Amino acid sequence: MIKAATNNSPSGELWIKNENDIVYARGAVREAAIQLGFGQTDVTRIVTAASELARNTFKYAGEGVIRWGRVETGSRMGLQLQFVDRGPGIQDIDLAMQDGFSTSGGLGKGLSGSKRLMDDFEIESTAGHGTTVTLTKWRANW
Amino acid sequence: MDRKPGNNNISVIRVRDVLIVTMPPEPDDSVINALQESVLNAMERHESQAVLLDISSVEIFDSFFARTVSETAQMVRVMGGRTIIVGMRPAVAITATQIGLALGNVETALNVDRAFDLAATRPKPEKHDKSSHE
Repeated sequence: MIKAATNNSPSGELWIKNENDIVYARGAVREAAIQLGFGQTDVTRIVTAASELARNTFKYAGEGVIRWGRVETGSRMGLQLQFVDRGPGIQDIDLAMQDGFSTSGGLGKGLSGSKRLMDDFEIESTAGHGTTVTLTKWRANW
Repeated sequence: MDRKPGNNNISVIRVRDVLIVTMPPEPDDSVINALQESVLNAMERHESQAVLLDISSVEIFDSFFARTVSETAQMVRVMGGRTIIVGMRPAVAITATQIGLALGNVETALNVDRAFDLAATRPKPEKHDKSSHE
């Protein structure tokens, strides 16, 4: 999913296994976004989306992986984040994407909110097998 | 509050009747979870009527943090006080609004000075906001 990167471009992965890993994931994503030259508001958007999804991974699947890396297609360059878990999956993605829907007593903003913060958003989930969420933010004026 | 000193903890100080609660830049979940207890205990101890929650150094305000703040404000209100969120950064305000984080039941101020001015005024009458049932 994340394309081969040049040597100096930020990419990496991190396991999310406990609550502290959410903070580490945020830090890693922040650093990557700054390296790619995103402005402060976009950095905040990207890191906030990462925080929402990292917490979802931990809360619903128990553990999972976050990967991040630079993507380039045609004239565009951006930062892609991917969250992969082998948790219970999502029964009804359309319902889960609805603003305010939550099975955990949360605000129900995690998925819908992070979709609004990023430019591209893809979710694949199979009940019983896990969930993969892929998000991209493209850099303006690139 | 037997929290260890350090730069990732909540600080609570009292100035007159007002509690100034300062969040660290990168609060983890345990720090956020400690917010309610720190605030409510300090309120009881100091018989404070207003809580200024200073988030001016906070860089990430996600839905988990927002829910905790909103719940804490509700608890403060039940105890007879009011909560004023102080110093939300522009990037954080943009992001929180885009996600749709509702802080409708919490008063806000640009900085601590203005929050003190606001705390000296009478609280606005309670809004009956149906959407506050999250």
